[in-house]
Amino acid sequence: MPPLMGIEFLCRVSDVLSDYLGGLNEDVIKDNFVIVYELLDEMIDNGFPLTTEPNILREMIAPPNIVSKVLSVVTGNSSNVSDTLPGATGSCIPWRAADPKYANNEVYVDLVEEMDAVINRDGALVKCEVYGEVRVNSHLSGLPDLTLSFANPSILDDVRFHPCVRFRPWESHQILSFVPPDGEFKLMSYRVKKLKSTPIYVKPQLSSDAGKCRVNVLVGIRNDHGKTIDSITLQFQLPPCILSADLTSNTGTVNILGNKTCSWSIGRIPKDKTPSLSGTLVLESELERLHVFPTFRVGFKIMGVALSGLQIDKLDLKTAPSRLYKGFRALTRAGEFEVRS
Amino acid sequence: MFPQFGATADTLSKASTMVFRIGTDAHLYDDPDDVSIAPLLDSKFDSEKCEALKRLLALIAQGIDVSNYFPQVVKNVASQSLEVKKLVYLYLLHYAEKRPNEALLSINYFQKDLGDPNPLVRAWALRTMAGIRLHVIAPLVLVAVGKCARDPSVYVRKCAANALPKLHDLRQEEHALAIEEIVGKLLNDHSPAVVGAAAAAFASVCPYNLSLIRRNYRKLCEILPDVEEWGQIALIGILLRYVIASHGLVKESIMFSLQCTESSHSVKDGSDADFGQVKESTDMGGTCDYEFVNMVSRCYIEGPDEYLSRSSYANRESFQLTDEQFTSGKSNDDVKILLYSTSPLLWSNNSAVVLAAAGVHWVMAPKEDVKRIIKPLLFLLRSSNASKYVVLCNIQVFAKAMPSLFAPYYEDFFICSSESYQVKALKLEILSSIATDSSISSIFKEFQDYIRDPDRRFAADTIAAIGLCAQRLPKMAHICVDGLLALTREEFVTKDFGFGDQEAGILTHAILSIKSIIKQDPPSHEKVIIQLVRSLDSIKVPAARAMIIWMVGEYSTLGEIIPRMLNTVLKYLAWCFTSEALETKLQILNTVCKVLVGATEDVWTFKKIFSYLVELAECDLNYDVRDRVRFLKKLQSSNLVSIGQEEGTNDLPEKDLLHVVAECILGRQTRKVKAESFSYRFYLPGSLSQIVLHAAPGYEPLPKPCSLLLDDRNVPEGTSEIKKTVADYSGTDDYGTSSEGSDDESASDYDSQHSVAESSGSGRGDDSEFTSEGNDNADPLIQISDFGNASENQNGVSQSGPANLGELMSDRALESWLDEQSGSSNPGISEQSQVRISSARISLGDVGKRVKPKCYSLLDPATSGNGLKVDYSFSSEISSMSHLLVCIEVFFKNCSSETISEITLVDEDSNRALDAADKAADVNQSSLASSDNVPTLVPMESIASLEPDQTARRILHVRFHHHLLPLKLALYCDGKKLPVKLRPDIGYFVKPLPMDVEVFIDRESRLPGMFEYTRSCAFTDHIEELNKENGDSLFVKDKFLAICESLALKILSNANLCLVSIDMPVAANLDDASGLRLRFSSEILSSSIPCLITITVEGKCSDPLNLSIKVNCEETVFGLNLLNRIANFLVERTLG
Repeated sequence: MPPLMGIEFLCRVSDVLSDYLGGLNEDVIKDNFVIVYELLDEMIDNGFPLTTEPNILREMIAPPNIVSKVLSVVTGNSSNVSDTLPGATGSCIPWRAADPKYANNEVYVDLVEEMDAVINRDGALVKCEVYGEVRVNSHLSGLPDLTLSFANPSILDDVRFHPCVRFRPWESHQILSFVPPDGEFKLMSYRVKKLKSTPIYVKPQLSSDAGKCRVNVLVGIRNDHGKTIDSITLQFQLPPCILSADLTSNTGTVNILGNKTCSWSIGRIPKDKTPSLSGTLVLESELERLHVFPTFRVGFKIMGVALSGLQIDKLDLKTAPSRLYKGFRALTRAGEFEVRS
Repeated sequence: MFPQFGATADTLSKASTMVFRIGTDAHLYDDPDDVSIAPLLDSKFDSEKCEALKRLLALIAQGIDVSNYFPQVVKNVASQSLEVKKLVYLYLLHYAEKRPNEALLSINYFQKDLGDPNPLVRAWALRTMAGIRLHVIAPLVLVAVGKCARDPSVYVRKCAANALPKLHDLRQEEHALAIEEIVGKLLNDHSPAVVGAAAAAFASVCPYNLSLIRRNYRKLCEILPDVEEWGQIALIGILLRYVIASHGLVKESIMFSLQCTESSHSVKDGSDADFGQVKESTDMGGTCDYEFVNMVSRCYIEGPDEYLSRSSYANRESFQLTDEQFTSGKSNDDVKILLYSTSPLLWSNNSAVVLAAAGVHWVMAPKEDVKRIIKPLLFLLRSSNASKYVVLCNIQVFAKAMPSLFAPYYEDFFICSSESYQVKALKLEILSSIATDSSISSIFKEFQDYIRDPDRRFAADTIAAIGLCAQRLPKMAHICVDGLLALTREEFVTKDFGFGDQEAGILTHAILSIKSIIKQDPPSHEKVIIQLVRSLDSIKVPAARAMIIWMVGEYSTLGEIIPRMLNTVLKYLAWCFTSEALETKLQILNTVCKVLVGATEDVWTFKKIFSYLVELAECDLNYDVRDRVRFLKKLQSSNLVSIGQEEGTNDLPEKDLLHVVAECILGRQTRKVKAESFSYRFYLPGSLSQIVLHAAPGYEPLPKPCSLLLDDRNVPEGTSEIKKTVADYSGTDDYGTSSEGSDDESASDYDSQHSVAESSGSGRGDDSEFTSEGNDNADPLIQISDFGNASENQNGVSQSGPANLGELMSDRALESWLDEQSGSSNPGISEQSQVRISSARISLGDVGKRVKPKCYSLLDPATSGNGLKVDYSFSSEISSMSHLLVCIEVFFKNCSSETISEITLVDEDSNRALDAADKAADVNQSSLASSDNVPTLVPMESIASLEPDQTARRILHVRFHHHLLPLKLALYCDGKKLPVKLRPDIGYFVKPLPMDVEVFIDRESRLPGMFEYTRSCAFTDHIEELNKENGDSLFVKDKFLAICESLALKILSNANLCLVSIDMPVAANLDDASGLRLRFSSEILSSSIPCLITITVEGKCSDPLNLSIKVNCEETVFGLNLLNRIANFLVERTLG
C-alpha cells in the first residue's frame, strides 16, 4: 500500500471520529468505544478502506446525539446500527443519501481562506499566498444538480475537488458542476499565489549587547478592508540560550509557557493606539549577544472577506424546486503566517 | 503557579464531561465486569444481549482475554437484531483463529445469512465468514464469494471483491484459479464501486495476470474517474503496469533516455575522467540530467538491487532496450487514453490519488507534458507533516532528474519554522538542486535567514546546501565563499563559550562547503585559502582545523603567495602540535609530508620541521598517531635529516622507489570521485520503498516493456507445447469464463516459466505405465444408445477407424455427422459458430478392468533403516465391517538382504486424539452419533516374517477422522517403532452408486443452489494418446473415444466412482470436442449421501481441453473437497 494512502486514510478516520464524537481524545474514545469499534469495522476491511464516505457511515451507524442519549436513558434501549443498507452504497453518487426531503431548500456557500505569508528579516514579503476552501452546506430535496461559477477563476493557481465535481466542465469553462452531498462538505480547495500585501504588519526589533536583549514588537493594520480584524495573536519560541524574560504589552495579555513559548493575544486592535510588546531577555552568562532569532507566528481572523479576491459569480440549480434559499459567506484566517526577526 | 486553582479547573472540567457522558457507553467501559455477562448472553432480549456483548467488547479493548465466552457468543449469530449481529461479528473475528472448532459452529448461520433478503446482512455475513481465516472453510467461503459476486446489490459485490484477498492469504493452491476467475468477473462489473474493490483484489491476488486487464482496458480507463478514491489508487498502478507490459515505454517520455544514452554509456565507461561529470543538455522539455534520469528509469524497470548489483560487474549490456520496446505516445491510443483519464485525477481531493496519477504522468507522459503534475504536487505540500514528507521524497527525485520542471516554483520550497526537521532538510536539498542563476539570489537571501534559525541542526544543513548550490552554479561560487568566510569569522566570536556540538557543526559545515567549492576551481580561490589559514589561530573546532590544514597540504604549490607562507604556517603547526586533537595531529603530519614531497625551496627547514614532528609524534599517547608517524617516517626516509648523512651520496634505487611511492600517496591531486548521488536507489513514485529507500515487502518494479506482447506474438523456443496451444486458444476464443484459467499461463513470462516447469515435472506420475498398457490393450467395448429412446441396443462393435464410426450412431445423428465432416476438412471457416443438433450417448465397456489405482509410498526403504518398503493404494473394495472404514491395500516389500520379522501397523494414539479430531471434522455431520465406537484402524493381521525380496499384501480398514488431514500410524517391525503418515484420498471416501441416467438427472435437479459447485480446469492427457495414434496408422482411433477413455480412466483410477453415462456431441465437427459430457455417481461412505459428478468438455480435440466439473452433494464441505480433488488430479499430466 502506498504510504500516502495510509496517511490519508488515517486522516479520514480521525475526521470521521471527531465528527461523530465532537472531538478526538482518549476519554472520548473510551466513552464511545462501541461506536468507534463499529465505525472502524465499517471503514476498513482486511486492511483496505471499505466505506469512508461520511454520509453513508452516518446512515449505517447513527452518531451519538443528545436525542438518542436521552432516549437511551429513558428506554434503556439503544441501537445505533441501521437495519437497512444505505441506498447510496449502490448509486453512482455514493456521497449522496438517496432522496432526502426538505421543507425549505437551502444552499450555503462559504469561502474559508487561510493566508500563508513569510516576512523575512529585512521586513520584505517573501511569500504570500492564500489557501482556500469552498465549503457548501446543502439541504436540497431530490437529486439536485448545481453549477457554481466564479467571477475571476483565472486567479486560481491550482484546485482540488470533492469527488462529486465533474472534471470536464471545469476543464473547458471553469465551471463547477456537481450533485452535492447532503449536509456540509468541502466542495473544493484552491490556492492563490503571489499576493501583494498582508492585512496586518508585525515589526519586531531585537537588539542585544552585554548579555541582555531588548525586544520591541509593533503590530498594526496595514490596509483597511473595511472589516475588523479579530483575535490577533502572536506566538514565538524564545531561543534556548535565554535564561529569563520580562515582557509587557500595552494591549492584550502576554504569557510565557514552560517550554519557553511566548504568546501574546491582542484581540482587536484598538483605534487609539498601536499595540506593542516590549521587554528584556536575559541571555546565558557567557553570551554577549544573541546569535539566533525567533520567528513570530501571527494569527488573525477577518469575517466577511476573502483576501484572495476570489468572487462567486452565481450558483444555479438545474431542476429548480419551488423555493431555493442561497447564502454566501466569506472568512479569512491566518495560516502559516510567519515574521522572522 | 496556582496549583489550587489548577486542581479546581481540573475537577470542573471532569464534572462537565460527566454530563456529556450520560447516554454513552462510558459506564460499560469503566466497569465492564460489574454484572455477570453469561446470563445476559443467554437472555431472550436483544437489548440485554447487546449490553453483554458491549461489555465483552470493553474487556477486549482493555486487553483482557474473554475467549471463554466463545460458544455462548457464537450462538447469538442467529439473532435477528443487526446490532447484536454486528457485535457478535466483531467478537468472532477477534477470536476465531484462537478457537477454530467453535468458530466452525457459526458457519451454518452464515450460510443462512447469505441467503437473507437484506443486502447488509448478506454483506456482513460474507465479510465475517471470509475474515475467520480457517483453511477448513476456505472452500465454503469460495463458493459464497462466487455467489456474492453475482449479487444484485453493489455493496455485496464490493464486499465479495474485498473477501478475495482474504481467501488468497490462506495460500491454498487449488483455489487460486477460481479466485482469479472471480477477480476477472468483478473487474468487468458495471458499477465503479465494485471495480475499485476488484482492482485492489487484483493487485494483491494476481498482479501478474495482466491479460485479465487487456480484456477490459478501455472500460477500466473510462470508469477510472468514477471509481472510489481508494480503488483509484490501485487501479492506476495496474493500468500503468499493463500499458508498459503490452505497449512498452513511451518514446517522448523521460524513460526514453534509457535508449539514447545507451550508446554514450559504453563510451563513458572507458574513459574514467569524465565519468562523474554530469552531462546537461537542453531539449524540448528543458534541461534534464541524463545520467541521472537514465539511472532512475533503469531502477524503475529493474529494481535498484538488481540494477546496482549488475552494474558493479559492469555488464550493462545484458539489459538492452530495443526500439521495438518503445511506442509513441502520440500515436498509441492506449497510452493516450490512460493519460487522458488520469489527468483529472490530479485534482483529486485525496493526496494519494494525486501522487499515483502524477506517477503515471512522470513515467508515461511526453516530456513537455510532464509539467502538468507540478502544481498538483506542490498543492499537496499544504497538508500534515507526514504527508508533506512523503510528497517531498518523491518531488526530490523528480526535481533532481528534471530541475527545470521545478525551478520556477522555488518559493514553494521555502521553509516554515513550524515544519519538522526532516521536511526542512528535504526542502533544502530540493532547493539546492533546482536553483538557477535567476533564482539563486532570492534563495540565498532565504538561506541567510535560516542560518539564524534557533534550530542549529537545520542551520548547519543550510550551510551545506549553500555549498551544493555553489557547486551547481559556478558563477555564484565567489559570493558563496565570501558569505561563508564571513560566517566563520562571526561564529568564532561565540566559539570560546563552548556551545557544544551544534555551533561546532555549523563551523565544520561552513569549512566543508568552502573546501568543496575550492575543489572545483582552486586557482581562483587562492585568497580564500590564505584567509582561512590566517584564521587558524581563532578556529578551535578540531574538525574544522583539520580541514584547513588539509587544504594547506593539498594546495601547497598553488599560486605564489601560499608557497611563501608555508614556512611560517608549518612552524606554527609544529609549535601547537602537542595541544591538538587527534584528527588535527594526523592531518598536520600528512600536510608536512605533502609539503616535503612537493617542496622546491626551503626544503631544509621543512625537513627540520618534519624531524621535529616525528620526534614528538613518536612519543604521542595515541597509537594512531604513533603508527602514522612510523609509516610516514619510512616513506620519507630519504628526506629525513640525519646528521651523518649527506644528500645524494647514496642514491640507492630503493630510496628512489620510496620517493616515487611517497609521490603517489601524498603528492597526487585527489581525483574526482563519482558524485554521491550515483549510489542512490530509486523506486517507483509513491511507493513505500521510495520513502524508506530499500525494497519494502511486496515492492515490484515496472514490468519489462512489451513482455505481454512478446508472449503472445512469438512463443520463445523451449516453451512447452501446452503453452503454445493455450495461447492460440485464448486468441481465438471469445473470452468466456472458461478461458480465463488458461489465459493466465500465457500472461507474463513469470507464469510461463511456471507452466513449463509444471508440465515437464509431471511426467513421473505413476499412471504412466498404465496408460501405455491401455493402448496395447484391446479396443473398448462401445455401447451406444440414441438420445431419444433410452432403450439400450447394445452393440459390441470393435472400433477401428472413422469409417466404422457410422455404425456406432443412430441414423439421425449420423446424417448430421456426415454433413459436418465435409466442413471440417477445411477448418477455419466456421468452427466455433456451429450449432449442435444432437448428441449420442455411449458407454465404455471395459474401463473398469484397466483401472489401476495410484500407489503411494508409506515407508521408504531409505528412511526405514532396515530396507522395508511399504506402499499403499486405495482400494475400491467396500469395507464389510463398518461404513466408516476405508479399505486400503498395503504392500510390504523387503528390499534388504535379511529377514524382517513381526511387521504390524497400529494406530499411533488411538483414543487420545479421537475426540478432538472428531469434533473438528464432523461438526456438520449429524449422523455420526452412533458410530463413535468404530476404531481408527482395524487391527491388522501382522506379518510374522518377510524374507528378502518377498512381498506381502494386506488389506487395511482405516477410519479417517478428517478427509484432508493425514492419519498418524506406527509401524512396528523387528521390535522397532517407526512413525508413518497415511494420507487420505477423498476420492475413496465414496463408493460407486450405480444408477440410470434418468435417475441421475432427476437427483441432480433436486440438488441445486448451495449444493452445486463447479470448477473448471484444463485437461491434456489425451494429447499424448492422440499423438501416438497418429504414428500408428493402422489403428486410427476416434478422437472422441480416445478423449472419453483417457478422461474416464483418469477419474476412475483416482476415485471410487461409477460411470453413469457419456454424452457425445454428434453435430459438431470432428475436431471439436465441446459438448462431451461424462457423468459419475457415488455415495459418501460414512453417511450414504449421494454425490453426483458431471464433467463437461469444451475445446478442440487436439488442444488442451477445458473441463468444467460439477459436483452435486448435500454435504457441502465434502462436496467441495471432492471437487477440488478431482480438479487437481485431472490437471496433473500423465505422460506415456
